[in-house]
Amino acid sequence: MRRNVFLLLSAVVMLVSCYPDGAETYQDMDIVYTNYDEKFDFVSKGTYSLPDKIVKITGNLAAGELPEYVTEPYNTQILNRIESNMTALGWTKVDAANDPDLALLPASWTNTTVYYWSDYWCWYYYYYCGWGWYYPTVSTVTTGTLVLSLVAAGEEYIDPSIVWVGAANGVLSGSYNTSRVNDAIDQAFEQSPYLNTK
Amino acid sequence: MKRIILAAIVFAFVGLANTYGQVGGHFAIQYDISFGTGNLGEYISQPSFRGASMQYRASLSDQFLLGIDAGWNVFYEEKPYDSYTSGTQTLSGKQYRIQNQVPLLVSADYILTADKAVQPYIGLGIGTMYSERVTEMGYYYIEENPWHFALKPELGLMYEVGYNTKFKFAAKYYTGFPAGELETQGYFTISTGFAFEF
Repeated sequence: MRRNVFLLLSAVVMLVSCYPDGAETYQDMDIVYTNYDEKFDFVSKGTYSLPDKIVKITGNLAAGELPEYVTEPYNTQILNRIESNMTALGWTKVDAANDPDLALLPASWTNTTVYYWSDYWCWYYYYYCGWGWYYPTVSTVTTGTLVLSLVAAGEEYIDPSIVWVGAANGVLSGSYNTSRVNDAIDQAFEQSPYLNTK
Repeated sequence: MKRIILAAIVFAFVGLANTYGQVGGHFAIQYDISFGTGNLGEYISQPSFRGASMQYRASLSDQFLLGIDAGWNVFYEEKPYDSYTSGTQTLSGKQYRIQNQVPLLVSADYILTADKAVQPYIGLGIGTMYSERVTEMGYYYIEENPWHFALKPELGLMYEVGYNTKFKFAAKYYTGFPAGELETQGYFTISTGFAFEF
Protein backbone atom coordinates (compact mmCIF):
# COMPACT_ATOMS: atom_id res chain seq x y z
CA MET A 1 0.00 0.00 0.00
CA ARG A 2 2.86 2.36 0.85
CA ARG A 3 4.47 1.65 -2.53
CA ASN A 4 1.21 2.44 -4.33
CA VAL A 5 0.82 5.68 -2.41
CA PHE A 6 4.34 6.86 -3.22
CA LEU A 7 4.04 5.89 -6.88
CA LEU A 8 0.80 7.78 -7.27
CA LEU A 9 2.10 10.77 -5.31
CA SER A 10 5.13 10.94 -7.61
CA ALA A 11 2.94 10.70 -10.72
CA VAL A 12 0.62 13.44 -9.54
CA VAL A 13 3.44 15.75 -8.46
CA MET A 14 5.09 15.27 -11.87
CA LEU A 15 1.83 16.11 -13.63
CA VAL A 16 1.25 19.22 -11.56
CA SER A 17 4.89 20.26 -11.94
CA CYS A 18 4.24 20.96 -15.64
CA TYR A 19 3.94 24.62 -14.73
CA PRO A 20 3.10 27.08 -17.54
CA ASP A 21 6.12 28.94 -18.89
CA GLY A 22 4.71 32.29 -19.96
CA ALA A 23 6.46 34.42 -22.59
CA GLU A 24 8.72 32.51 -24.98
CA THR A 25 10.15 35.22 -27.27
CA TYR A 26 11.41 38.78 -26.76
CA GLN A 27 8.52 40.06 -28.87
CA ASP A 28 6.00 38.46 -26.49
CA MET A 29 7.16 40.89 -23.82
CA ASP A 30 6.81 44.14 -25.81
CA ILE A 31 4.28 46.58 -24.37
CA VAL A 32 3.05 50.02 -25.48
CA TYR A 33 1.53 52.60 -23.14
CA THR A 34 -0.25 55.85 -24.05
CA ASN A 35 -1.99 58.56 -22.07
CA TYR A 36 -3.41 61.93 -23.04
CA ASP A 37 -4.99 65.11 -21.72
CA GLU A 38 -8.66 64.68 -22.57
CA LYS A 39 -9.28 68.44 -22.25
CA PHE A 40 -6.81 69.26 -25.03
CA ASP A 41 -8.33 69.83 -28.48
CA PHE A 42 -6.04 67.94 -30.89
CA VAL A 43 -8.39 68.38 -33.85
CA SER A 44 -7.91 72.16 -33.93
CA LYS A 45 -4.10 71.78 -34.19
CA GLY A 46 -2.10 70.73 -37.21
CA THR A 47 1.63 71.43 -36.93
CA TYR A 48 4.39 69.92 -34.84
CA SER A 49 8.16 70.06 -34.56
CA LEU A 50 10.48 67.05 -34.21
CA PRO A 51 14.17 67.20 -33.22
CA ASP A 52 16.73 65.48 -35.45
CA LYS A 53 18.22 63.44 -32.58
CA ILE A 54 16.76 61.19 -29.89
CA VAL A 55 18.33 61.84 -26.48
CA LYS A 56 19.40 58.91 -24.30
CA ILE A 57 18.58 59.45 -20.64
CA THR A 58 21.34 57.88 -18.59
CA GLY A 59 20.70 59.50 -15.20
CA ASN A 60 24.33 60.38 -14.62
CA LEU A 61 24.77 63.54 -16.68
CA ALA A 62 27.14 65.96 -14.98
CA ALA A 63 26.67 69.73 -15.20
CA GLY A 64 28.00 71.03 -18.51
CA GLU A 65 28.17 67.58 -20.11
CA LEU A 66 26.45 66.96 -23.42
CA PRO A 67 23.82 64.19 -23.41
CA GLU A 68 24.18 60.99 -25.39
CA TYR A 69 22.03 60.37 -28.43
CA VAL A 70 20.76 57.29 -30.22
CA THR A 71 23.29 56.30 -32.87
CA GLU A 72 22.71 56.17 -36.59
CA PRO A 73 21.11 54.60 -38.55
CA TYR A 74 18.66 53.74 -35.77
CA ASN A 75 18.06 57.41 -34.91
CA THR A 76 16.90 58.26 -38.43
CA GLN A 77 14.85 55.06 -38.76
CA ILE A 78 12.91 55.86 -35.60
CA LEU A 79 12.35 59.52 -36.47
CA ASN A 80 11.17 58.62 -39.97
CA ARG A 81 8.69 56.12 -38.56
CA ILE A 82 7.33 58.71 -36.12
CA GLU A 83 7.02 61.27 -38.91
CA SER A 84 5.15 58.89 -41.22
CA ASN A 85 2.64 58.07 -38.46
CA MET A 86 2.07 61.75 -37.66
CA THR A 87 1.60 62.55 -41.36
CA ALA A 88 -0.97 59.76 -41.66
CA LEU A 89 -2.89 61.40 -38.79
CA GLY A 90 -2.97 64.72 -40.63
CA TRP A 91 -0.09 66.53 -38.91
CA THR A 92 2.48 68.71 -40.70
CA LYS A 93 6.06 68.83 -39.54
CA VAL A 94 7.59 72.31 -39.32
CA ASP A 95 10.79 73.73 -37.89
CA ALA A 96 10.78 74.60 -34.21
CA ALA A 97 11.39 78.24 -35.16
CA ASN A 98 8.13 78.38 -37.12
CA ASP A 99 5.86 78.30 -34.05
CA PRO A 100 4.44 74.77 -34.26
CA ASP A 101 1.28 73.92 -32.32
CA LEU A 102 3.04 71.05 -30.54
CA ALA A 103 6.58 69.76 -30.04
CA LEU A 104 7.13 66.01 -30.28
CA LEU A 105 10.09 65.11 -28.06
CA PRO A 106 11.42 61.54 -28.25
CA ALA A 107 13.74 60.09 -25.60
CA SER A 108 15.06 56.66 -24.69
CA TRP A 109 16.69 54.83 -21.79
CA THR A 110 17.70 51.36 -20.71
CA ASN A 111 17.32 49.73 -17.32
CA THR A 112 19.27 46.71 -16.12
CA THR A 113 17.94 44.57 -13.28
CA VAL A 114 20.47 42.28 -11.59
CA TYR A 115 19.25 39.07 -9.95
CA TYR A 116 21.60 37.62 -7.38
CA TRP A 117 20.88 34.38 -5.56
CA SER A 118 22.92 32.82 -2.85
CA ASP A 119 22.02 30.39 -0.10
CA TYR A 120 23.64 28.32 2.53
CA TRP A 121 22.84 25.04 4.19
CA CYS A 122 23.57 23.77 7.63
CA TRP A 123 24.22 20.21 8.77
CA TYR A 124 24.32 19.22 12.39
CA TYR A 125 27.00 17.04 13.88
CA TYR A 126 26.70 16.62 17.61
CA TYR A 127 25.01 20.03 17.99
CA TYR A 128 27.62 21.77 15.87
CA CYS A 129 26.42 23.41 12.70
CA GLY A 130 28.96 23.11 9.91
CA TRP A 131 28.05 25.69 7.29
CA GLY A 132 28.12 24.94 3.61
CA TRP A 133 27.10 27.18 0.73
CA TYR A 134 25.77 26.94 -2.79
CA TYR A 135 27.56 28.71 -5.63
CA PRO A 136 25.83 32.09 -6.07
CA THR A 137 24.11 32.77 -9.36
CA VAL A 138 23.83 36.14 -11.06
CA SER A 139 21.62 37.00 -14.00
CA THR A 140 20.61 40.28 -15.58
CA VAL A 141 17.71 41.51 -17.65
CA THR A 142 17.97 44.78 -19.59
CA THR A 143 14.87 46.55 -20.83
CA GLY A 144 14.72 49.46 -23.24
CA THR A 145 12.11 52.22 -23.34
CA LEU A 146 11.29 54.75 -26.08
CA VAL A 147 9.14 57.65 -24.90
CA LEU A 148 7.36 60.10 -27.20
CA SER A 149 5.92 63.24 -25.63
CA LEU A 150 3.74 65.81 -27.33
CA VAL A 151 4.27 69.11 -25.56
CA ALA A 152 2.05 72.18 -25.88
CA ALA A 153 3.51 75.62 -25.27
CA GLY A 154 2.42 79.13 -26.10
CA GLU A 155 0.71 82.14 -24.69
CA GLU A 156 -2.15 80.17 -23.15
CA TYR A 157 0.27 78.02 -21.12
CA ILE A 158 2.20 79.18 -18.05
CA ASP A 159 4.57 76.21 -18.41
CA PRO A 160 4.89 73.78 -21.31
CA SER A 161 2.46 70.91 -20.78
CA ILE A 162 2.60 67.31 -21.94
CA VAL A 163 -0.70 66.63 -23.71
CA TRP A 164 0.14 63.13 -25.00
CA VAL A 165 2.71 60.51 -24.08
CA GLY A 166 3.49 57.24 -25.77
CA ALA A 167 5.98 54.75 -24.33
CA ALA A 168 7.22 51.48 -25.80
CA ASN A 169 9.05 49.02 -23.53
CA GLY A 170 10.69 45.69 -24.26
CA VAL A 171 13.45 43.34 -23.21
CA LEU A 172 16.65 44.01 -25.14
CA SER A 173 17.82 41.03 -27.17
CA GLY A 174 21.35 42.31 -27.76
CA SER A 175 20.81 43.48 -31.33
CA TYR A 176 18.61 46.24 -32.73
CA ASN A 177 15.36 44.78 -34.06
CA THR A 178 13.82 47.19 -36.59
CA SER A 179 10.48 45.41 -36.84
CA ARG A 180 9.93 45.40 -33.06
CA VAL A 181 10.65 49.14 -32.82
CA ASN A 182 8.49 49.98 -35.86
CA ASP A 183 5.61 47.85 -34.57
CA ALA A 184 5.77 49.59 -31.20
CA ILE A 185 5.77 53.09 -32.72
CA ASP A 186 2.88 52.17 -35.03
CA GLN A 187 0.92 50.73 -32.10
CA ALA A 188 1.40 53.90 -30.02
CA PHE A 189 -0.29 55.98 -32.73
CA GLU A 190 -2.86 53.31 -33.60
CA GLN A 191 -4.19 53.29 -30.03
CA SER A 192 -4.38 57.12 -30.05
CA PRO A 193 -7.20 57.87 -32.53
CA TYR A 194 -7.84 61.22 -30.78
CA LEU A 195 -4.59 62.50 -32.41
CA ASN A 196 -6.28 62.38 -35.81
CA THR A 197 -6.73 65.95 -37.08
CA LYS A 198 -8.38 65.02 -40.40
CA MET B 1 5.61 30.09 -1.40
CA LYS B 2 3.53 27.52 -3.28
CA ARG B 3 6.40 24.98 -3.23
CA ILE B 4 6.62 25.24 0.57
CA ILE B 5 2.86 24.71 0.91
CA LEU B 6 2.92 21.71 -1.44
CA ALA B 7 5.83 20.08 0.40
CA ALA B 8 4.12 20.55 3.78
CA ILE B 9 0.88 19.04 2.49
CA VAL B 10 2.64 16.03 0.95
CA PHE B 11 4.59 15.25 4.12
CA ALA B 12 1.50 15.67 6.31
CA PHE B 13 -0.55 13.29 4.20
CA VAL B 14 2.19 10.67 3.89
CA GLY B 15 2.50 10.74 7.67
CA LEU B 16 -1.24 10.38 8.12
CA ALA B 17 -1.38 7.56 5.57
CA ASN B 18 0.90 5.49 7.75
CA THR B 19 -1.51 5.45 10.70
CA TYR B 20 -3.35 2.41 9.32
CA GLY B 21 -4.26 -0.20 11.85
CA GLN B 22 -5.14 2.45 14.43
CA VAL B 23 -8.33 4.00 12.86
CA GLY B 24 -10.25 2.64 9.83
CA GLY B 25 -10.60 4.83 6.78
CA HIS B 26 -8.71 5.64 3.61
CA PHE B 27 -6.12 7.83 2.04
CA ALA B 28 -6.98 9.00 -1.50
CA ILE B 29 -5.11 10.79 -4.22
CA GLN B 30 -6.76 12.13 -7.35
CA TYR B 31 -6.02 13.93 -10.59
CA ASP B 32 -8.20 17.03 -11.06
CA ILE B 33 -9.59 18.77 -14.11
CA SER B 34 -11.11 22.10 -13.16
CA PHE B 35 -13.31 24.75 -14.73
CA GLY B 36 -13.38 28.28 -13.35
CA THR B 37 -16.73 29.94 -12.69
CA GLY B 38 -17.76 33.52 -11.92
CA ASN B 39 -14.83 35.91 -11.48
CA LEU B 40 -12.23 33.14 -11.98
CA GLY B 41 -14.00 31.93 -15.13
CA GLU B 42 -14.03 35.46 -16.52
CA TYR B 43 -10.35 35.97 -15.70
CA ILE B 44 -9.22 32.61 -17.14
CA SER B 45 -11.65 30.93 -19.53
CA GLN B 46 -9.44 27.88 -20.20
CA PRO B 47 -9.97 24.76 -18.06
CA SER B 48 -7.15 23.61 -15.79
CA PHE B 49 -5.52 20.26 -16.55
CA ARG B 50 -2.86 20.80 -13.91
CA GLY B 51 -4.51 19.74 -10.68
CA ALA B 52 -4.30 17.19 -7.91
CA SER B 53 -5.99 16.56 -4.59
CA MET B 54 -5.45 14.32 -1.59
CA GLN B 55 -7.88 13.24 1.07
CA TYR B 56 -7.49 11.54 4.41
CA ARG B 57 -10.65 9.99 5.84
CA ALA B 58 -11.25 8.28 9.18
CA SER B 59 -14.35 6.06 9.42
CA LEU B 60 -16.52 7.14 12.32
CA SER B 61 -19.07 4.53 11.26
CA ASP B 62 -19.73 2.35 8.18
CA GLN B 63 -21.28 5.30 6.38
CA PHE B 64 -19.78 8.41 7.91
CA LEU B 65 -16.21 9.54 7.21
CA LEU B 66 -14.37 12.57 8.54
CA GLY B 67 -11.03 13.92 7.48
CA ILE B 68 -8.98 16.55 5.73
CA ASP B 69 -8.56 17.58 2.10
CA ALA B 70 -5.79 19.37 0.28
CA GLY B 71 -5.47 20.30 -3.36
CA TRP B 72 -3.56 22.34 -5.92
CA ASN B 73 -5.00 23.53 -9.21
CA VAL B 74 -3.22 25.73 -11.74
CA PHE B 75 -5.26 27.83 -14.14
CA TYR B 76 -3.42 29.43 -17.04
CA GLU B 77 -4.30 31.42 -20.12
CA GLU B 78 -2.18 33.23 -22.69
CA LYS B 79 -4.16 36.21 -23.98
CA PRO B 80 -3.30 37.33 -27.54
CA TYR B 81 -1.89 40.81 -28.19
CA ASP B 82 -4.60 43.29 -27.24
CA SER B 83 -5.18 46.81 -25.87
CA TYR B 84 -6.53 47.46 -22.38
CA THR B 85 -7.97 50.94 -21.72
CA SER B 86 -8.83 52.63 -18.45
CA GLY B 87 -9.86 56.26 -18.70
CA THR B 88 -7.27 58.07 -20.79
CA GLN B 89 -4.65 55.33 -20.40
CA THR B 90 -4.15 52.44 -22.80
CA LEU B 91 -1.72 49.56 -22.45
CA SER B 92 -1.14 47.10 -25.28
CA GLY B 93 0.67 43.78 -25.19
CA LYS B 94 0.33 40.05 -24.60
CA GLN B 95 -1.04 39.09 -21.22
CA TYR B 96 -0.23 35.88 -19.34
CA ARG B 97 -2.72 34.99 -16.64
CA ILE B 98 -1.88 32.39 -14.03
CA GLN B 99 -3.96 31.51 -10.99
CA ASN B 100 -3.02 28.93 -8.37
CA GLN B 101 -5.71 27.60 -6.06
CA VAL B 102 -4.74 25.65 -2.92
CA PRO B 103 -7.76 24.52 -0.88
CA LEU B 104 -7.20 23.12 2.64
CA LEU B 105 -10.41 21.79 4.20
CA VAL B 106 -11.89 19.66 6.94
CA SER B 107 -14.39 17.38 5.19
CA ALA B 108 -17.10 14.92 6.01
CA ASP B 109 -18.53 12.28 3.65
CA TYR B 110 -21.69 10.22 3.93
CA ILE B 111 -21.69 6.95 1.99
CA LEU B 112 -25.19 6.15 0.79
CA THR B 113 -24.70 2.40 0.24
CA ALA B 114 -21.71 1.22 2.27
CA ASP B 115 -22.48 -2.48 1.79
CA LYS B 116 -22.55 -2.43 -2.02
CA ALA B 117 -19.69 -2.69 -4.50
CA VAL B 118 -20.42 0.76 -5.90
CA GLN B 119 -20.54 3.28 -3.06
CA PRO B 120 -21.96 6.70 -3.96
CA TYR B 121 -21.38 9.41 -1.40
CA ILE B 122 -22.05 13.04 -0.68
CA GLY B 123 -19.66 15.27 1.18
CA LEU B 124 -19.01 18.77 2.41
CA GLY B 125 -15.75 20.48 3.21
CA ILE B 126 -15.13 23.66 5.14
CA GLY B 127 -11.84 25.47 5.55
CA THR B 128 -9.60 27.87 3.71
CA MET B 129 -8.33 28.34 0.18
CA TYR B 130 -5.22 30.19 -0.96
CA SER B 131 -5.47 32.04 -4.27
CA GLU B 132 -2.46 33.39 -6.11
CA ARG B 133 -3.42 35.47 -9.15
CA VAL B 134 -0.55 36.68 -11.32
CA THR B 135 -1.10 38.89 -14.37
CA GLU B 136 2.05 39.27 -16.46
CA MET B 137 2.40 41.90 -19.16
CA GLY B 138 5.79 42.62 -20.65
CA TYR B 139 8.48 42.56 -17.99
CA TYR B 140 5.96 43.56 -15.29
CA TYR B 141 3.36 41.67 -13.29
CA ILE B 142 0.62 42.24 -10.75
CA GLU B 143 0.11 39.64 -8.01
CA GLU B 144 -2.82 39.19 -5.64
CA ASN B 145 -2.69 36.38 -3.08
CA PRO B 146 -5.39 36.32 -0.42
CA TRP B 147 -6.59 33.47 1.77
CA HIS B 148 -10.34 32.85 1.49
CA PHE B 149 -12.85 31.15 3.71
CA ALA B 150 -13.90 28.17 1.57
CA LEU B 151 -16.64 25.59 1.19
CA LYS B 152 -16.67 22.48 -0.95
CA PRO B 153 -19.78 20.39 -1.66
CA GLU B 154 -18.92 17.04 -3.24
CA LEU B 155 -20.68 14.19 -4.97
CA GLY B 156 -18.82 11.03 -5.82
CA LEU B 157 -18.56 7.28 -5.85
CA MET B 158 -16.06 4.62 -4.89
CA TYR B 159 -15.68 1.18 -6.43
CA GLU B 160 -13.47 -1.59 -5.06
CA VAL B 161 -10.89 -2.63 -7.66
CA GLY B 162 -8.43 -4.56 -5.54
CA TYR B 163 -7.42 -5.52 -2.06
CA ASN B 164 -8.07 -2.41 0.10
CA THR B 165 -8.01 -0.27 -3.04
CA LYS B 166 -10.94 1.61 -4.46
CA PHE B 167 -11.37 3.68 -7.58
CA LYS B 168 -12.62 7.11 -6.47
CA PHE B 169 -14.45 9.50 -8.77
CA ALA B 170 -15.90 12.81 -7.61
CA ALA B 171 -17.45 16.07 -8.76
CA LYS B 172 -16.62 18.95 -6.45
CA TYR B 173 -17.34 22.65 -6.36
CA TYR B 174 -14.87 24.87 -4.50
CA THR B 175 -16.01 28.34 -3.38
CA GLY B 176 -13.64 30.82 -1.84
CA PHE B 177 -15.46 33.83 -0.40
CA PRO B 178 -14.26 37.40 -1.11
CA ALA B 179 -10.89 38.18 0.46
CA GLY B 180 -8.24 40.82 -0.11
CA GLU B 181 -8.63 42.28 -3.58
CA LEU B 182 -10.33 39.21 -5.04
CA GLU B 183 -14.03 38.55 -5.32
CA THR B 184 -15.50 35.08 -4.78
CA GLN B 185 -13.31 32.51 -6.50
CA GLY B 186 -15.20 29.40 -7.55
CA TYR B 187 -14.38 26.42 -9.70
CA PHE B 188 -15.88 23.07 -10.55
CA THR B 189 -13.60 20.01 -10.41
CA ILE B 190 -13.78 16.48 -11.81
CA SER B 191 -11.48 14.23 -9.75
CA THR B 192 -10.40 10.70 -10.61
CA GLY B 193 -8.03 8.57 -8.58
CA PHE B 194 -7.68 5.85 -6.01
CA ALA B 195 -8.42 5.41 -2.33
CA PHE B 196 -6.23 3.13 -0.23
CA GLU B 197 -7.99 1.72 2.79
CA PHE B 198 -6.43 1.09 6.15
